[in-house]
Amino acid sequence: MAEDNMADDEQDEQDVQAEPSADDVLAGVLIEKFALSVDVRNKWNLCLFAQADNAFHVLQYLRDQQGFNVLLDITVIDYLTFPGHRDARFAVVYLLKNIQTCQRIAIKVLLEEDDAAIDSLGDMWLNADWSEREAYDQYGIVFKGHHNLKRLLNHHEFVGHPLRKDYPAQKRQKMSANDLMLDQLHARLQDLNYTVVENVESVENIEGAES
Amino acid sequence: MKVLTPQGEAQEYMTLNMGPSHPATHGALRIFAALDGENIKAAVGEMGYLHRGFEKMVEQGTFNQVLPYTDRLNYCSAMMNNIGFCKAVEKMFDVELPERCIRLRVIVSELSRIIDHLVCVGANLVDLGALTNFWYFFNPREEVYKIWGKLSGARLTNTFTRIGGLYRDAYVGFEDDVRLVLKKIEAAIADVRGLIEHNKIFVERTKDVCVVSGEEALAWGWTGPCLRASGVDHDMRIHEPYYGYEEYDFDSVIGQKGDTFDRIMVRIYEMIESISITRQAVDKLKPGPINCDDARVRLPEKSHVYHDMEALINQFKLIYEGVRPPLGECYDASEAANGELGFYIVSDGGTNPYKIKVRPPCFTQFAAFPSMIEEHQVADAFATLGSLNVIAGELDR
Repeated sequence: MAEDNMADDEQDEQDVQAEPSADDVLAGVLIEKFALSVDVRNKWNLCLFAQADNAFHVLQYLRDQQGFNVLLDITVIDYLTFPGHRDARFAVVYLLKNIQTCQRIAIKVLLEEDDAAIDSLGDMWLNADWSEREAYDQYGIVFKGHHNLKRLLNHHEFVGHPLRKDYPAQKRQKMSANDLMLDQLHARLQDLNYTVVENVESVENIEGAES
Repeated sequence: MKVLTPQGEAQEYMTLNMGPSHPATHGALRIFAALDGENIKAAVGEMGYLHRGFEKMVEQGTFNQVLPYTDRLNYCSAMMNNIGFCKAVEKMFDVELPERCIRLRVIVSELSRIIDHLVCVGANLVDLGALTNFWYFFNPREEVYKIWGKLSGARLTNTFTRIGGLYRDAYVGFEDDVRLVLKKIEAAIADVRGLIEHNKIFVERTKDVCVVSGEEALAWGWTGPCLRASGVDHDMRIHEPYYGYEEYDFDSVIGQKGDTFDRIMVRIYEMIESISITRQAVDKLKPGPINCDDARVRLPEKSHVYHDMEALINQFKLIYEGVRPPLGECYDASEAANGELGFYIVSDGGTNPYKIKVRPPCFTQFAAFPSMIEEHQVADAFATLGSLNVIAGELDR
């Protein structure tokens, strides 16, 4: 049984050598161009390591030159208690998809705990805004240059980052007041070239009315 | 709030909170908007009111214990979440599922897709004031829930799949029940189409409202019916087929413009395609095993457990410890009712997941919503929110 499997594997490898798959070609290009390295832990998808300082350019290249037009998700892995892990504590993972060829790729960036910051994707993909806010909320990764890096899922008074491995699952926190979001609305109006004339007064009015 | 418009006019805008507890938001979503009369000039959105910490909770239990949590993601089509999660874990194990299991998974997937669209469209039409359609749709939906009850013992949160198979086989008479309910759904869809498709009020309320172009939809990371309504032909069942979807004869449904009308119509026509897929799958359903025979994931037969030592140990290990996917990281997705439902699973080789990240399809759709409704009226905003089918359960996790 085991020998059969090995024989099959060898067969597969030979096939791959005969005609490299699209994933292998893409990995080759990226390794040559940006000196990325392959993530061996991700055996099921194409996943490459980038550095914090060139991840932005790698993603931009993938979007503009390789047709990866959809950012599926941004997530973070906290390797604090992962057995045998010696590298940096956090990994930010960008999941991309090419809608024409249905090819997928994951770009992973390792970040040390004391410097858990990476450049924001800005408006490269519009959904990066909220995905980055979620990653900041849940793991405390700072996305430099993000226009509104606020918590997304948890309450704005919440302390800590719940998906970190050192955050106790049973811990409870008491929250009180709602987020008025008036600052966000003002920022949005300013983005749309409006000028908010009456600003501070109205905030106080609303706060006074609620309490 | 006093503002100067980009043209330099002084205006007095009213601020308004819509939600989180509002009947038309269909879930705890909040929109905070600056209004000029009935026109929304700027809007920002807030989510998280239904955040239960799914991703933290699943790290505390075993892989099979994750399944009941997945029911509560998109609770309008709970079984599709079960299937999506099991598919991802099965990819890590590299197990091969028996044919009957795959067919049953396709049948419950497509029926789930139908009832999900029935809720979405039915509730959306209520927001537009067309209450009759809601009853037309909810009657056959109830029939599907009766089938779910007989099939899995539960109506809403079914937990029907297991890693490597299903909870149990279909009951005697399942095929007939499904065929009958498909007929009822077909009749209901015909009724609703007759009421709305050329209905002046409906058409004028939804045509050219909150248009999202194909490029914008892709830039927002949209998937599923909303992306197809914007004219992008992408359906995982067709372009990245799994579970033998390539064997079935069906078409992907594409919208022309990406307005609210298209988003509703794409869902209605997708139901017709799903009915066709379900019929074909029921016709092809043959008797056979429903679980894979891989000892790493599936419990041995009870007759073996009582008589031989290895099977007894196997049962013990799987019940008391749980399955152990190989060490590594894996992303796998399936085409759920709302779009691409993905699971990013990190396994450290143990029995508990090290990390599971859900990629909820409606997250990207709700992220786009506040900017979509700007320069539209409040009533259009709610017509559009319904057409995006934002399910707070999977949005907030």
